[in-house]
This record gives sequence, structure tokens and C-alpha cells, in this order.
Amino acid sequence: MEKFQQMFLRQQKYIFYLLSLYTLGWGFTEYKTLFLSLILGTVVSLFMLWSLVRKIEKFGRAVAHGKKVRSIGTFSRLAAAALAAAIAIQYPQYFSIVPVVLGLMTSYIVIIIDFLLQKFQKNGYHV
Amino acid sequence: MNLIAAAIAVGLAALGAGIGNGLIVGRTVEGIARQPELRPVLQTTMFIGVALVEALPIIGVVISFIVMNR
Repeated sequence: MEKFQQMFLRQQKYIFYLLSLYTLGWGFTEYKTLFLSLILGTVVSLFMLWSLVRKIEKFGRAVAHGKKVRSIGTFSRLAAAALAAAIAIQYPQYFSIVPVVLGLMTSYIVIIIDFLLQKFQKNGYHV
Repeated sequence: MNLIAAAIAVGLAALGAGIGNGLIVGRTVEGIARQPELRPVLQTTMFIGVALVEALPIIGVVISFIVMNR
């Protein structure tokens, strides 16, 4: 399997771990709004990560074969974030906006942390 | 007034994302065209670059929605 796909699977795994923790928090604690908002943001964030990986894989393959690429899906990801914000604003009794934004940023934070971990491991440090 | 503020926020966010992504994609295309065997490395670098560039415009879009609905 390619390194790029392995990276995506690893990041997906981390996000699923986080989602399971949030679901436990939603089910067993009093902070239902907080955890539901985090779940909404993280699910949309997972979609954005999947879309980013899929588009970049397609892009790389197309460039290597000398074909053209129309877009890398930036605006669909922005629209997904706008949808999450719109849902949070429309239903304030279930969602709160700040945890939704934190959830939306989850995949980007996971990408950066995963990149740093891989870099440290490549250089011989074991974290 | 809120509508104008939201429109400016989204517009500038999209402008930033467009310029940043354009630079990254342009360099990656150049690199892959020159050395196709380096595609996995360049793809990974592009992935991380695009992720870093897109994080702030997404916050900008959400903030513009909050401002618009106030």
C-alpha cells in the first residue's frame, strides 16, 4: 500500500478514536450540547479529510499521466464547513458554535500532530 | 451591515485560500512533471500544505456565518 494511503488510514483511525470518546461523553455525561457539537464538527472534519485525500490522490495521478485536473475541492470543503455552522446556528438548543469550530479543526490538528510524530520517528526519536 | 461584513470575510478567506493553494499546486505540478518518481513525497507535502492553508479560511467562513446571523 502506498505511504499516502497509510497516512490517511492512520489519521482516520485517530479521528475515529476521538469520535468514540465524544460519543461516550455524550452518552454518559451531563454536557450533551458540548459533545454533540464536537461530534457534528468532527464528522464534517472527517468528510473534509476524506475529500482532501481523494482529490490530492486523483490530482497526483492525473499530473503524472499528463492529464488535466479541474479542482482540488477547496470550495466544497468550505461549503461543508458552512453547512456545519448553519446547522449549529439553526438549532441552538442542541448545538453550540464554539465546539463545532473546534471539531472542524480536528482533522487539521490531527494532520499536523501525525506529521510531527512521523518526522520525529524518522529522525530516530521515539515518542 | 452584517451582510457586508460576512461577504468581505468570506471573500478574503476564499482569496487567501485560492492564492495559497495556487502556489502549492503550481509547485507540486512542476515537481511531479520533472521527477514523476517523487510523486508520493510531493503528494504528502502538498497534502500537509493544503491542510495548513485551508484551516484559516474555514474559520473565516464560520465566523462570517456567525456575524451574518447576529
